[in-house]
Amino acid sequence: MNGAQHILQAFHRHNISTVFGYPGGCIMPLYDALVDDVGVEHVLCRHEQGCALAADGYARASGKLGVCIATSGPGATNLITGVANAHRDSIPMLVITGQVPSGLIGTDAFQETDVLGMTLGIVKHSYLIDDANTLPAIMAEAMALARSGRPGPVWIDIPKDLLLAEVADAPFPAPEPEENSHPELTQALAMLRAARKPLLYSGGGVSLANAEDQFRVFAESSTLPAVVTLKGIGNPGKHNPWNLGMLGMHGSRAANRAVDECDLLLVIGARLDDRATGRLDGFAPNARMIHIDADAAEINKLRPADLAIRGDLNDILTALTDALVHRPLAISEWQTQCRNWHTMGGFQAADNEEPLAPITGPAFIRQLSRIAPDDTVIACDVGQHQMWVAQHYQFDHPRHHLTSGGLGTMGFGLPAAIGAQFADRQSTVINVTGDGSFMMNAQELATIRRYNLPLKLIVMDNQCLGMVRQQQELFYNNRESQISLDDNPDFVAMARAFDIPALYIERTDQIRRGIETILAFNGPMLLHVAISREENVWPIVKPGASNRDMIDETRRTSPASKEHIA
Amino acid sequence: MTSQTYISMPSYTLNCRMSREAAALERLCQVIRVRGFRIARMAVESAGDHIDIALTLEGTRPISMLQSQLEKLHTVAEVTPGQASGVQVQTA
Repeated sequence: MNGAQHILQAFHRHNISTVFGYPGGCIMPLYDALVDDVGVEHVLCRHEQGCALAADGYARASGKLGVCIATSGPGATNLITGVANAHRDSIPMLVITGQVPSGLIGTDAFQETDVLGMTLGIVKHSYLIDDANTLPAIMAEAMALARSGRPGPVWIDIPKDLLLAEVADAPFPAPEPEENSHPELTQALAMLRAARKPLLYSGGGVSLANAEDQFRVFAESSTLPAVVTLKGIGNPGKHNPWNLGMLGMHGSRAANRAVDECDLLLVIGARLDDRATGRLDGFAPNARMIHIDADAAEINKLRPADLAIRGDLNDILTALTDALVHRPLAISEWQTQCRNWHTMGGFQAADNEEPLAPITGPAFIRQLSRIAPDDTVIACDVGQHQMWVAQHYQFDHPRHHLTSGGLGTMGFGLPAAIGAQFADRQSTVINVTGDGSFMMNAQELATIRRYNLPLKLIVMDNQCLGMVRQQQELFYNNRESQISLDDNPDFVAMARAFDIPALYIERTDQIRRGIETILAFNGPMLLHVAISREENVWPIVKPGASNRDMIDETRRTSPASKEHIA
Repeated sequence: MTSQTYISMPSYTLNCRMSREAAALERLCQVIRVRGFRIARMAVESAGDHIDIALTLEGTRPISMLQSQLEKLHTVAEVTPGQASGVQVQTA
């Protein structure tokens, strides 16, 4: 068995059935081995960035390990954005790249790049194989490492000659699970009971720990008012009466108010990102903080915790739930206050009753949320549409909302939707994108067609880079700079060129029929939605400002006050 | 000609033991830089499968933050802090 064949065998041993890749010179031995292997489905994307982002979307939607493969040089460098995206959002991923043969490393050989060196900052760990006999141990370690603790991408760079070298096949036992006890839980419970205004603050760490169900039980049984980060959307469930929704820069006034006024913040699986907290010295100024996370380095990183608990969220949430079930928290006054704030200061978007009126982003997303099936997976891109989805789509599970939170990668949505569709061929998957983001990975329309994936594409087209335009309007004295996309191609004709049918809508009375048509169609379909160029995402907190200073539509910055932001 | 300023910057020592693997030192140095510290002194000694690195670092952020980030590296076995001190640092 050679190195390439061993890699495929390791996939089988670890139940990896789907990988995303693109062949080329130095990875050809692996592609040769794939010819004889029917147990691994290889998805050929049209760009290596598409491969990495599809693997990311596959991992987010399924909870499994995402795998992407590319050749040396440009194959590897094209993966980098997708791998960085997975790194910033802690997505479990295995990356395999071919490298020039061992003897040519360091000679500026054709398609040679120092992949190990250039990717150090975007991986959880990485390896350059220098001995074929280390491959079995490294494959086993890499796959375990990518999924353990705080997950992340692990990159294996393997020279072509070692893919062809004989490898002694020796399976390696899985590492023993870490056993944890948490004596801090007693103190956490005492702090919860002593608090008059405790608030649950959860993020992407909940689903990364596969603790969605246990979190839901805890959130419901504790009856704690709850806010979520962008990546925590869906954690409490859409029917939880105490769910105040997303906090932060584009969060709801209710969620930010609750953080501002709470006296205890119970942070679970979140890293207090600047887009969520706003200016740190104004964040939860009256609150003590309990921080529960899998990653010790997140504890005390940005704000000191009064109590920190590191470990598996399932164990910790189970213990907390058991303790609270027997003696519920007495916080009815605070709950009522939060519900009132939510009623008055939740995300508002009136449906436009005027049938011929132009479509607005929030109204469209609210309709989509009402019409799409409950278990629909929405893969967003980055920009205004991403925030409208976060604000107005009612998610019932965090794995239904795929969004590039940390890196903010335009072009994420389409390949991520492809990955999600491969994770479950029967599920409804919708890529909600903007006209800017759509063009960043539009080549993957060919992948949709090749595999006849039934996913749906919704392009919200405002003929510009809307989020940049919005910030130029609000914080750069309305000096528009390089944001016009009014020469976009005809997206309907473009989809049809890939043999994907498409519809165009521009009026409010076309929204329902447009959505129902694409959802009912048995195959991929694109809906091109024209929206106003001037529409903004509200509310907004100026970058660097406190969440207390949210700007509403009625409080726009005066054009005369010229302000610049970092 | 460059202007020079003198600022007082906290100085720390850290002793780090890590596996001797490809890019071990690059990995370590990159985390130190990205997390806001500068290396004033660095002594490296091989010891079998491991390397021991004695670091003198300067930076204004809490050293505990860097320590926890270094401990996250898969091939870092141990990070031991030394005593903090204030030093005059010359910057160009």
